[in-house]
Amino acid sequence: MGGMTTAVRAAAAIAPPPRPSLVRARECLVTGAAAGLARHLDVPAWLVRTVLVLLGPVGALFYVWLWAFVPWESGVAAPSRRVPVAWILTSAAFLLSLTYVPLYGDPYAWTLWGYGGMSSARAMVVLVVTVFMAAGAGLWAALVDRADPGRGVRHAFLVRLAVFALLALLLYGELTRLASGGGTVQLVRTSLPLVGAAVVLSSTLILRFRELSGERVRRIKEEQRAEMAAHLHDSVLQTLALIQNRAGASSEAARLARAQERELRSWLYDGDAPADSDLPTDLRDYAGGLELDYPVRIDVVSAGESTERASGEVAAAAREAMLNAARHAGGEISVYIEGSATSVDVYVRDRGGGFDPDAVPADRLGVRESIVGRLRRIGGSATIRPGAGGSGTEVHLRLTQPGGRHG
Amino acid sequence: MGDTVRVVIVDDHSIFRSGLRADLDPSVDVVGEAADVASAIAVIAETAPDVVLLDVHLPGATGVADATGGETVIRGSAPTASRFLALSVSDAAEDVVRVIRAGARGYITKGSSGVEVSSAVHAVAGGDAVFSPRLAGFVLDAFGAVAGETAVVDDELDRLSTREQEVMRLIARGYAYKEVASELFISIKTVETHVSSVLRKLQLSSRHELTVWASERRLL
Repeated sequence: MGGMTTAVRAAAAIAPPPRPSLVRARECLVTGAAAGLARHLDVPAWLVRTVLVLLGPVGALFYVWLWAFVPWESGVAAPSRRVPVAWILTSAAFLLSLTYVPLYGDPYAWTLWGYGGMSSARAMVVLVVTVFMAAGAGLWAALVDRADPGRGVRHAFLVRLAVFALLALLLYGELTRLASGGGTVQLVRTSLPLVGAAVVLSSTLILRFRELSGERVRRIKEEQRAEMAAHLHDSVLQTLALIQNRAGASSEAARLARAQERELRSWLYDGDAPADSDLPTDLRDYAGGLELDYPVRIDVVSAGESTERASGEVAAAAREAMLNAARHAGGEISVYIEGSATSVDVYVRDRGGGFDPDAVPADRLGVRESIVGRLRRIGGSATIRPGAGGSGTEVHLRLTQPGGRHG
Repeated sequence: MGDTVRVVIVDDHSIFRSGLRADLDPSVDVVGEAADVASAIAVIAETAPDVVLLDVHLPGATGVADATGGETVIRGSAPTASRFLALSVSDAAEDVVRVIRAGARGYITKGSSGVEVSSAVHAVAGGDAVFSPRLAGFVLDAFGAVAGETAVVDDELDRLSTREQEVMRLIARGYAYKEVASELFISIKTVETHVSSVLRKLQLSSRHELTVWASERRLL
């Protein structure tokens, strides 16, 4: 008892790495159950497999139980299985049928048992097992291997082709035997290949059903999302708009409300944004950030589509200009982006005190230089001039893209 | 703009109506309020206001399946001398364009201050159109101005004239009408004429991009 306490204490002190949870490996032989169990117990996989085999039926039952109830390890990749289960089953069914098929036709043909050596009952068992394995191969290929990146649709098609060929052969044999009489037992035997074929074909139905229910789930999710969007639109967005309206454009409350509105809106309507978003999206996000940090309200308007990306120099210069406007002018800032196939224009306009080149402090001149210089380096132009009516400053970035494409 | 303008506010959120009412200029006289399509049509018929501040989304829309409530109010009130100014919680372009095509004289976001809404009300009451920078950007896009399409004749419905494009570009850049006027060396009245003509094109053009663009993009 004392020793155990010590052990527990020691364990607590050192905090050993937690036991890996019981999950099935995605890179597996057949089901990943044995490998997962081995990892969980921290023993070699072959040991687990040997024990399972030695346990016989109990081991098999346990294995199936693991297979059914242990989840895959987390990840998005479809599991890939190294053992070609479908082909093994198909080959086994073919081999088994070799012991059986020669019974057809020539009654003196050679079989493993020799003619007449195979009793009717035994032939029945062999037939059932053959059909069972063939159907299993077809199902496995269609339901399991189809999603496997290493095998796929073509593989499933080939396996099913082989399976159908085998079943057709069996059916043909049984029909010839049926023609020469054989009673009810022969009738049952004749129907077996048909049942097998039906089972294999049913996998198509199962797939279709899976697709349909997946589609349904997606649609329900989409509907729920739309419903939620409509609800939030009616309540929360309205309230946020009201707060902005009541609190005055550049007050703290209005800025927070605006930032929240922006966030909620992009969550509601935009879905997943690509890593390197386009110029307007990027500048809109950036404007959202600036509104949080400075007492400004930035209106980003875009027209047309350009090939300019968020990672480009134009975006960097535009962000610089926006930051500049937010820091030195504040208030209302307008950003307009117009992109066509061959050029992109960005206007950043503030309503601050205006700018006087001679009175600009050195750091601001540096920023200006980084805007103008940046554009010049990539062959564009940047002009900085007083805003209309002499109030504020307007920065105009322009980049023409020869041939329509440019870094 | 010394005269008071009689206004009806149509919005299904009472808190928004009262908030807006409190914020509006003294020169704007709120003569009625309504919260849904039916009562809006009734109030407009009864009070005959100069301007209706109309939420794009209203409960009780009837008629066309996906009509927004605002659109139904405009169509339901016709014929009327009242002018409509759409209010939108920065909405889908589709909805804004629909209300404008139904006859609204412009649109303004709900986040706008009372001063902004008041001046927009006065502009609409005076027969002018109210264009936000975003709507201007959308129009430039939808009428192919960005791609370089220009109307040869001024009254061509499906394209903008050079002057109209210049005006729209400046509005998109955040210029007020007055600033647009001084930038282009034209009078404010001329700017207003151009904007009204663009609004008319937006309402009457059969350009298919209008709806396509609108449904593909959010204005805001």
